[in-house]
Amino acid sequence: MICCVRTPHPSLVAAWLKAPVLRGRSLVIGGLAHERASVTTASAEARAQGVMEGMSLNQAQQFSPDAIFQPVDEEATARVRQSLLSTLHHFTPDVAAGEDPGCAFLKLDRLTLRWPDRSPLLAAISHAIDAVIRVTPTLGVASSMFVSKLAADHATVGVPVIVEPEKTRAYLARYPIDVLPLDDDLREYLELLGLRTIGRLQTISRHAFRRQFGVKALDIYDLGQGNDRRRLRPFRPPVRIEASEPLEPPVDNTEALQFIARALAERVSASLLAEGLGTRMVRITLTQESASPLPIEVRFAYPMTTVGELFDGIRPRLLAASIVAPLERITLRAGRLEAAYVRQPGLLIRRDGFKESIADAVARLQEEYGPSLVQRAEVHADAAPLVDHRILWKPA
Amino acid sequence: MPDRLEQAITVLQTRFGSAAPRPAAPPCPTRPSGLAEIDALTGIGGWPVGRLSLLAGQKGSGKRTLAQQSVAATSREGVVAYVDFPSRLDPEFLHRFGARLDHLLVVRPKSLKEGMASVRVLARAGVDLICIDLPRRRSAGLDAELPHLLHRAAEADCTLLLVHDAEADDAIRYYASMILAFQRSAWVFRRDGDLEGLLVDATVVKNRLAPPGVKRRLLIPYPIP
Repeated sequence: MICCVRTPHPSLVAAWLKAPVLRGRSLVIGGLAHERASVTTASAEARAQGVMEGMSLNQAQQFSPDAIFQPVDEEATARVRQSLLSTLHHFTPDVAAGEDPGCAFLKLDRLTLRWPDRSPLLAAISHAIDAVIRVTPTLGVASSMFVSKLAADHATVGVPVIVEPEKTRAYLARYPIDVLPLDDDLREYLELLGLRTIGRLQTISRHAFRRQFGVKALDIYDLGQGNDRRRLRPFRPPVRIEASEPLEPPVDNTEALQFIARALAERVSASLLAEGLGTRMVRITLTQESASPLPIEVRFAYPMTTVGELFDGIRPRLLAASIVAPLERITLRAGRLEAAYVRQPGLLIRRDGFKESIADAVARLQEEYGPSLVQRAEVHADAAPLVDHRILWKPA
Repeated sequence: MPDRLEQAITVLQTRFGSAAPRPAAPPCPTRPSGLAEIDALTGIGGWPVGRLSLLAGQKGSGKRTLAQQSVAATSREGVVAYVDFPSRLDPEFLHRFGARLDHLLVVRPKSLKEGMASVRVLARAGVDLICIDLPRRRSAGLDAELPHLLHRAAEADCTLLLVHDAEADDAIRYYASMILAFQRSAWVFRRDGDLEGLLVDATVVKNRLAPPGVKRRLLIPYPIP
């Protein structure tokens, strides 16, 4: 079963968190009233006055003259969305963000051992979200993402709508076809045929529907039957892996710097190993005593995890860095994190697990020194007796 | 082993470290040079694995041809790299020696540092033989790089072959396990007038794995076009 958690648009939630007095008032998000922009979202009070998403701000002001207009705070919006997903991630790793910004899905199948009864689980989810973003969500539970979202849309706060799998068709039957993601042409065709509800759509056979509207429209038909083939794309909470060390007294000796960098690389590597991650970029920040901080970026062709690999990349860059003043702090931050299992087959190579393949080694050299460093040659014996014709050089 | 001998070894190891009384080295594995005469001359049957061998001699003494023959021979069994500092490697020449070009990586570094970094990385990654074609003027700074290079090569069982014009520096001579010096004796022609090869005097100047000082006149053949 899939649970859809529906909250107001994150921009709206962000505005409420910033200024709680705005709750219960007519609020339009998208820009200031005089700006030439469109409405991103609006509070229920503004909607009640006729404001809709996508309409111009001028128009919105005409509908709701006493409304408060605010621009979208992108950072705060992203934080709210992240908080929502991270909160749900505490319940289960099977969490996905919906296409609708205020919508998230989670699979309940793996929670049956911990929560044999569904009601306390749904109450706990509501409570957890309320504690984090100060908004009580509406919840819908069904066998597919589409149906659960529809259920959540029609649920009220504190009363989740649960659609059991065997009742899915009956539940969908009463809704108009507009709830399906139809394009204009298909909607027009269906209306011309008098098919205005999903129930009427369900009476047509799949074969007949396909014959009439083509293969592409079958997805719509399946949704109408309650079959949603979309997969839940699991959300991964962001991981920040960083190690930093103050240098007291300040260091101006590259030898000592290398030792500290290695110790930091060990810490970063341990964190990466614990998370099962590899990094494709390490950012070193050298804070200088009387000069601006010196950022150094080390990029890897493949996600790296072990200390040896990380330090092999870091060391030459550190030695080549143009340090102009003694260093007060060194910080290593792992960026572009990826699952380390990508390199797991490398562990099966004889000798040790840290040995990279020849292809990896060549890729690393080419990344560091340019693609022309390591080349392969091809000889075309049947070509004209000119060097350029007979020998073809290409990057390995 | 008698008890007294064991006791003596323990005493020595305590005083001078665990490596002090060393066991005799096991026979060193080798890679073919491509010429049976050279394999015999080395005394161990080819180029030693995990060590550095130096081919020295004046220009035109056949050392580069021999190195390329060795590269061709090893490419038939494994992956080889040719570090081409002067950028004058002719793949067609190697092809005529029967080299598998899909097993050959040609490294063309812009500086000694770049070249040595490539050798270290490739040796560690499992390349079987790396031939470093190093002109005399580019050898400055090599003495600092060689210990790291040899450590990697020994770890990864990689054979290093260094082709160096004229007299090698002291550092190279010190770190090389085998030094073969070549001197051109004569050109050898076929009856049809084509060049068959080069008659050279090859001398094993240094050999850590077999008796040095062996000298032989041999023919380094050129491939038939």
